[in-house]
Amino acid sequence: MMTRSRWLAAAAVMALAIAPWALARHQLSILTDLLIFGLFALSLDLIMGYTGMVSFGHAAYFGLGAYGSALVLIHFEQPIPIALLTGAVLAGVIALPVGWFSTRATGIYFAMLTLAFAQLLYTVAYKWRDLTGGSDGIAGVPKTTLFWGGPSLASAGAFYAVVAVAVVVSLVACRAIVTSPFGRALQAIRENERRFVSLGRDSRPFKLTVFVIAATFAGLAGALFAPFRGFASPEVMFWVASGQGLMMVITGGIGTLVGPVIGAMVFILIQEILSSYTEHWMIFTGLIFVLMVIFLPGGLVGTARRLAARA
Amino acid sequence: MSVIALVEHLLNALALAGLLFLVSAGLSLVFGILRVVNFAHGVFYMLGAYLGFTAVRLTGWFWPSLLIVPPAVGILGALLEASTLRFIYRRPPIYQLLLTFGLALILEETVRVLYGPTALGVEPPALLQGAVEFGGTVYPRYRLFLVVLGLAVGAVVWLLLTRTRTGLVIRAVAQNSEMAGCLGADVRRVRTLVFGCACALAGLGGVAAAPMTTAYLGMGIGVIVDAFVVVVIGGLGSIPGSMVGSLIVGAAQTWGAFYLPETAMVIMYAVMGAILIFRPWGLFGEEDDA
Repeated sequence: MMTRSRWLAAAAVMALAIAPWALARHQLSILTDLLIFGLFALSLDLIMGYTGMVSFGHAAYFGLGAYGSALVLIHFEQPIPIALLTGAVLAGVIALPVGWFSTRATGIYFAMLTLAFAQLLYTVAYKWRDLTGGSDGIAGVPKTTLFWGGPSLASAGAFYAVVAVAVVVSLVACRAIVTSPFGRALQAIRENERRFVSLGRDSRPFKLTVFVIAATFAGLAGALFAPFRGFASPEVMFWVASGQGLMMVITGGIGTLVGPVIGAMVFILIQEILSSYTEHWMIFTGLIFVLMVIFLPGGLVGTARRLAARA
Repeated sequence: MSVIALVEHLLNALALAGLLFLVSAGLSLVFGILRVVNFAHGVFYMLGAYLGFTAVRLTGWFWPSLLIVPPAVGILGALLEASTLRFIYRRPPIYQLLLTFGLALILEETVRVLYGPTALGVEPPALLQGAVEFGGTVYPRYRLFLVVLGLAVGAVVWLLLTRTRTGLVIRAVAQNSEMAGCLGADVRRVRTLVFGCACALAGLGGVAAAPMTTAYLGMGIGVIVDAFVVVVIGGLGSIPGSMVGSLIVGAAQTWGAFYLPETAMVIMYAVMGAILIFRPWGLFGEEDDA
């Protein structure tokens, strides 16, 4: 089983590596989009799947990353890695006080608090016109260079490479986090927080740390999103976006890391296809989602693993 | 601040609290009995407003609409509960939250298809148009009506829960659904009934809100976020908690909008944060409920 998943991982990395030559330009740009949202869903799985904390406001950190990166690129024209760093750090820094408040509560209260803070951040992005451009957002975000005086990243292939490397590195980093002693502690909290506390450890520092880490990765995804699409707008922070993040995780398979990435890809593709047929695709997304929750609780990866184990 | 202005603000806060209570009471009730956070609850409020618009336009009467629409919204809610939620109560709570999120998407988009994207105004009934005069100032009648409605519904819900046999069964299911089931309570029916009633309350809130706020897309999410804050402050599953929470949020929003119009939202969250530092499970909530 382990070797089989190693083979699959190697095949996936190979596929990502040859994609720029195998795919047409617009296909490559769709793949870039899928990977960015894959990273977003991956970051959500850290808190949701591995720690059992359901955040209903994760899109806020994606949005913070997008705004941070867009501002750096537009006003200072720094290389992309600087923008990525800024976006990720901004998201992590804002997540610290939010997490401090939210982790005081557990379960459903935690979900509602994260939603409330996310709507607050959304309102700030919407109202602070001078900085964020209000409802129009920030347009014309450039894909600058790899480093000062370095090669331009304006071509679809070059930017795809940056996104693919960032996503693969993040996936490996998250895998390392969940298999570390810290990650084991998170899973212990998920399984039985009371027991964890009664064994003499305080769960809150762990929960706060993983909340900030997850927000930082979500910020990184947002920081990639802004130059890729060329804009940052309040919509990416809206509650619908947070809910879609949860959908991606559930679709792919909660607590599997790679599942949410696949879930995000499937989810965005379905949306892409539906929206080319009807402008009211949200009805069908909702319907598919309701059916998935009822009939496929393990998501795609969970169900596939169950079938593989049976075979 | 003069006494008159103070009274005016107080009434504004109470009117807002009345609407918030209609929504948050149902949210809290559903959580108390079904252990489900109904994300679609705000959409039922919006549905109430839109159906109220249709009913007023068809009949030309506001009062009958106020009576007809809530049961209609309630029946729709009960049907949705019986056809989807009923099958996944044994799963972790996240699945129920996500299921209702899916339902919210479907309903919101359906309303957009049926009514279009523009906001629709609803005329208040003749009796409640205009303003009343007192102490040298005028105050809109409709807001006074909202204060009365919120209080009346609060009293009725409380009496039903504490003074009737059905209320007794509902409270038994809330406390321990398995035990109540063993003692002969039809838990499935109680859940569907409560879900339907909660949706009807949200629908009532929607019809009542429409003359003041108009019916518009996105009013559902606006109100559900406020209602979440209300129940977080008051404690999930507690009707008195919803009432107190509504008053606090209504007051925070009213005075916030007056003194700091740009940052009114922040006041609400600051109040919530302050309360949570001392009681992470809300003023009237119980620690184990979440």
